[in-house]
Amino acid sequence: MTAEPQRFQPVPREAHADLGTGPIPAQPYYTREYFELEREAIFKRSWLQIGHVCEIPEPGDFLVRPVEVADASILITRDAEGELHAFHNVCTHRGTQLVDASCGKRSRFSCPYHMWTFSNRGDLVSAPDFENFYVDQASCALPRVAVDVCAGQIFINLDKSPRQGLREFLGPLAEQMERLPMARATAISEYVYEVDANWKLTYDNFQENYHLRFIHPRSGEMAGGPQNPFGYPERYAFHGPHRTQTIWSNPDARPLPFQLLAFTKVAQFAMQDQLDMQIRDYFGVFPNLFVLGTATTHFSQSIMPIAENRTRSVIRLYWIGEDDCASRRFAREFNMTTALDIHSEDRAVIEAGHRGLASGALSHIHFQSQEVLCRHLFNEVDRRVQDYRAELAAAGGVQ
Amino acid sequence: MSGNLLPAGFQALEPFVEGWAIEGSENRLRRRLQSTPEEREAFFEAAMPLVQPALAQLDKKRLTEFDAAEQRLMNLMLSMAHVAHAVEVQREDEPFHAEGARHITITRSSADSNPGL
Repeated sequence: MTAEPQRFQPVPREAHADLGTGPIPAQPYYTREYFELEREAIFKRSWLQIGHVCEIPEPGDFLVRPVEVADASILITRDAEGELHAFHNVCTHRGTQLVDASCGKRSRFSCPYHMWTFSNRGDLVSAPDFENFYVDQASCALPRVAVDVCAGQIFINLDKSPRQGLREFLGPLAEQMERLPMARATAISEYVYEVDANWKLTYDNFQENYHLRFIHPRSGEMAGGPQNPFGYPERYAFHGPHRTQTIWSNPDARPLPFQLLAFTKVAQFAMQDQLDMQIRDYFGVFPNLFVLGTATTHFSQSIMPIAENRTRSVIRLYWIGEDDCASRRFAREFNMTTALDIHSEDRAVIEAGHRGLASGALSHIHFQSQEVLCRHLFNEVDRRVQDYRAELAAAGGVQ
Repeated sequence: MSGNLLPAGFQALEPFVEGWAIEGSENRLRRRLQSTPEEREAFFEAAMPLVQPALAQLDKKRLTEFDAAEQRLMNLMLSMAHVAHAVEVQREDEPFHAEGARHITITRSSADSNPGL
């Protein structure tokens, strides 16, 4: 905190009016029909974050992750040469799910049904009584899924031939995220919760600060100040389907005694680790990931759609190196519980939002200029859904 | 209770060992959510002045070399990282907050998964 902080300058009302100012249709936020289109138009075609390289550091390590929105289970392996692979977790014999465990170390995967056995490079290496089949072994490899890494995050793409590589898709965010601690993380803390709400309503809660003073009156006391009562960000920016904002840092924040003690430890370790204390950016990665990049509150949230009215959030905090002393262990626990307190306060109002909309009472909802990230997400989602509808119509499929 | 549940100098926290020296981040969260305001406040009041001295003393040793008393003191400090939010920040709003937090599960934490150095 400097002696004379710069006065807060709000983002002008007209700054991003090019993204639209009109009301937004309500149905996309709750109907099954729209959700089914999103599955195809977005989640089966976009790069999706699915894990972090520190979860699969050694040759022979593997992860299995559900992707409910695509009805898929994905097996990620690291082979003897250290290369990452991703496959559908499906035996090529008769489609049985191959691996039950969620992670482990294994270079061979045997299907429990008829013992077809695959290498961690996906090849079928053996199958009992294979002479009685009518196929050749080479054509029975596991179905491959595109996989790539940026900023330590493992992304997959369920499109058989992705239209863009990961780097091209992420654009300028790739380089910016590579500078975050998560790119070098060696360990993770994680908490998970599900809500009875649409994934976009869940995401939108974390894309605007308008609600902070009402939903987080105590835990968010430090977010707003006399200069900026709502704690609005300093800046918004848009990069293709992705969006960023720069979080305002309140010079008048007055931490409580325990908070001060714990925050001081968090900040000491951040400086000791030479983290960039200037970064105050939030990265909204299309379609369902965001990362808060500040050195002292660094976490990602993956917003996993399960159904049109059910969403799982996976929150991860990233650590560089082991807990090397009691104070560091304490600081990391405090970091996690601080974020968890905020998340726990949001849950009820996200569900209330879904219930209200799902009643069908409203044809439209409204976003103000400081909710422009929510509008941008809707625009990007809806464009893909409308394009997909047009594709279906052109192919003579259902409406 | 014998006087050696905790390292010397931290006897004032011995009455809280049974309730708050808890292994596992998820277990510490559950304990916070199931506790009464009186339990939380008594623990917080007793532990707050000892957090700095406790961490300073524990920092002198490697985490893997803690004896049972030091591990209990560590776990008390980690419980403070949970319960302090309730006592200091949430105050009378803690029941509302706890309602949302009950749906959250800590699936991994640095303190649990990491052997420490």
